[in-house]
Amino acid sequence: MTAREQGIVAEALVREYRGGIRAVDGIDLRVAEGEIYGFLGPNGAGKSTTVHMLTTLLPPSSGTARVGGFDIVREGPRVRAAIGAALQEAALDPLLTGREHLRLQAALHGLSRADRRSRGEALLERVGLTLAADRKVRTYSGGMKRRLDLALALVHAPRLLFLDEPTTGLDPQSRSALWQEVGRLAKEEGVTVFLTTQYLEEADVLADRVGIIDHGRIVAEGTPSGLKAEIGRPSVEAVPANPDERHRLTQLLERFGEPAQGSPNGVAVRLETGTESLVEIVRALDAEGLDVSHLQLHAPSLDDVFLAKTGRSLEGAAEEPSAEPARA
Amino acid sequence: MRAGALGAVLSVAGGVAWRTIHNVFTTPSLLLPGVLFPLLNFTAFAGGLSRLHDLPGFDFPPGYTAFQFVFILLQSAVFGGVFTGFGIARDFETGFTRRLLLAAPHRSGIVLGYAIGAAVRWLFTATVVTAVAFAVGMEVGGNGVDLFGLYALALLANVAGILWSTGVVMRLRTMQAGPIIQTPVFLALFFAPVYVPLDLLQGWIHGVASVNPVTHLLETGRSFVAGDAAGAGLAFAIAIGLAAGFALWALRGLRKAEAAG
Repeated sequence: MTAREQGIVAEALVREYRGGIRAVDGIDLRVAEGEIYGFLGPNGAGKSTTVHMLTTLLPPSSGTARVGGFDIVREGPRVRAAIGAALQEAALDPLLTGREHLRLQAALHGLSRADRRSRGEALLERVGLTLAADRKVRTYSGGMKRRLDLALALVHAPRLLFLDEPTTGLDPQSRSALWQEVGRLAKEEGVTVFLTTQYLEEADVLADRVGIIDHGRIVAEGTPSGLKAEIGRPSVEAVPANPDERHRLTQLLERFGEPAQGSPNGVAVRLETGTESLVEIVRALDAEGLDVSHLQLHAPSLDDVFLAKTGRSLEGAAEEPSAEPARA
Repeated sequence: MRAGALGAVLSVAGGVAWRTIHNVFTTPSLLLPGVLFPLLNFTAFAGGLSRLHDLPGFDFPPGYTAFQFVFILLQSAVFGGVFTGFGIARDFETGFTRRLLLAAPHRSGIVLGYAIGAAVRWLFTATVVTAVAFAVGMEVGGNGVDLFGLYALALLANVAGILWSTGVVMRLRTMQAGPIIQTPVFLALFFAPVYVPLDLLQGWIHGVASVNPVTHLLETGRSFVAGDAAGAGLAFAIAIGLAAGFALWALRGLRKAEAAG
């Protein structure tokens, strides 16, 4: 990717807070134009700090980055004109209506009066807020606020979109609708999307590529399927219906792969071939008259990737205290 | 600044000012304190202390109501700016400032927008206070030009007030900045000759008032009302100097806020 290309390029980006805490500790990123890049990590890993630097809200302590072809330190105004951003907290003015928010946002971006109106109406319709457009935002639900926030980020038709944990706190229906819209923006409009999330499923469903950040450093990067393939093959676990037949079950399963960590009552093996072995296992169990109370195929997940790269589960790591200082 | 950049600054300023004005004029709890506070002071000072006009050496022909009106007008102007500073602090606490910083290509327009919004808000207050003052019989010796000078001086004080408070808020980014904003403003206003002319003050308060720049604004404002524009040049120079100095203070504060994220 050349410097003037439209994606995101970061090199050795660092943000150090007082007391020497490095929220972001020398990350390198390359996000191609039109790509959805999922930035995955637990709370306090440095996701939001990275987004704040790339969106010019926070200057880096060292390192460089270009967003949309513009340097985030020297060409801040041009970066801001090129990007849209919906940050973690949808900071909206409770005294304004949805339509008034769009009007204000359009004015901030310097849109003409005619464009403000037409763009605002189109976006309200797209995010399904036309009927609520003239209600004060203080009456909106969390999902409506998120949708309005997305509309605000899109008001000036940006080439790049930063979404910082966009679905946190949303119900499954709203989450799915937002995923659809983000996918459409990238595929139909060619918008580059930089998405931070702590939800594995979100990164798996949406992202073309994923970067996993932990303690301010990128510990893994690649396509979700590539990352999962990198850390290993699928495993299968079975629990015998009769505990006395545990030994026989172990012998049978070990014909299909090497032993793996399973539950206390179960027997697990990592399959030598792919998931197609499951059919063979079922046939073998039937042929040998072995009854099982539980049979589960476990394909590697992004959490397994995180576990393999950091020695911790992402779900557990999310509960750890944040390394980033508290922010207003 | 290039024409395109200037247009972008003005567009940002227009949006921020519109929001301030919209919120103030659609929310009574935001509008009324800024109007009632000066009216209450006007009633207390001009009504309750009117016998001060009879003091030996108190020479102000338009009367004590007009004498106090000038102080109330300036006070409302400066505090109009201060109240807007509280609004900016609230925006920092709710994260709304982050939205402005993210969306505005040229961020100096944010400060300009807050200043314009504060000025419009104060002009409404000034209109109400003036109407009430005339309604209760205030006499004015000056002509239209003198009164224009008075309001121009007060508008500059308003701009200085908003830029002072903006500079503080941009550095502290919390509502807890309130006392730091208000205390110097209170001191500057009340160490000026509020109740009697400067000549009638004695002792240390006379010394402090003599070097207090607000004294020159107040005395000149009263001269305008009396129809004598004495000292207008110095007063405008002080007001413009304060506004320019606090503009730099506010813009440097904005840079600090940007650096802090």
